[in-house]
Amino acid sequence: MIRARTFTDARQQSHSNAELNWWIFMRISGLILVFLILGHIYMTFIQVSESDATYDAVVAKLANPAWKFYDWLILALSLMHGANGARYSIEDYVRSRPNRAWVKGLFYTVVALVFAFGTVGLFSI
Amino acid sequence: MYRGREGQWAFLLHRLSGLAILAYLMLHVFSIGSFIFGERFYMVIHETYDLWPFRIGLLFVTAGVVYHAFNGLRIIVMDFTGFGVAYQRQMWYGVLLISVVSFLYAAWTLYPRLMGGY
Repeated sequence: MIRARTFTDARQQSHSNAELNWWIFMRISGLILVFLILGHIYMTFIQVSESDATYDAVVAKLANPAWKFYDWLILALSLMHGANGARYSIEDYVRSRPNRAWVKGLFYTVVALVFAFGTVGLFSI
Repeated sequence: MYRGREGQWAFLLHRLSGLAILAYLMLHVFSIGSFIFGERFYMVIHETYDLWPFRIGLLFVTAGVVYHAFNGLRIIVMDFTGFGVAYQRQMWYGVLLISVVSFLYAAWTLYPRLMGGY
């Protein structure tokens, strides 16, 4: 994990290109997700009651390709952003190497399953 | 835990809200995506999370997302501008203010729905 205050620090601290790319990815995806997710919460929670999210309403909404794309973008970006954020936490708190490998492996598997499930759901309508 | 000041609490809240949002996201993908198992399966989950503890919980998810979003913007400002670090404390209080205000706004707007249950 990079504990940097500025981009220059981050470049000096990163052990690998991958680590620096993840650092940059967190900033870019975060900036995009601010708009996507606050918009999603406003449109589907503040304006509309969640009791309206019935089977028919959800199927009708997700049949629209624009919402498919919007929701899939949130799904992909937020899962990658969340998985990398949780990886930072795991690397901070799970100190023993064998445990860390198990925890990470299990966690990445769950994330991959959720991603596959969400993608299949979105594009099966 | 070291005796840091605002920056430490900003970091801790950012991490906790991030992990909470990730947990919520995965449950949310499952509950909405469960329509592929048919209407009955979907509606059983749907009627469960329509109960009031979950609806109030959604207010806290909203507040957590707003905090994480605006604190993330604060981090981006610190990382990519020259003046960001000097003003991080003031920006953090701004982030807290925005989070509290949007929590209250959501609670105020949704109050009849939360109480009336529709």
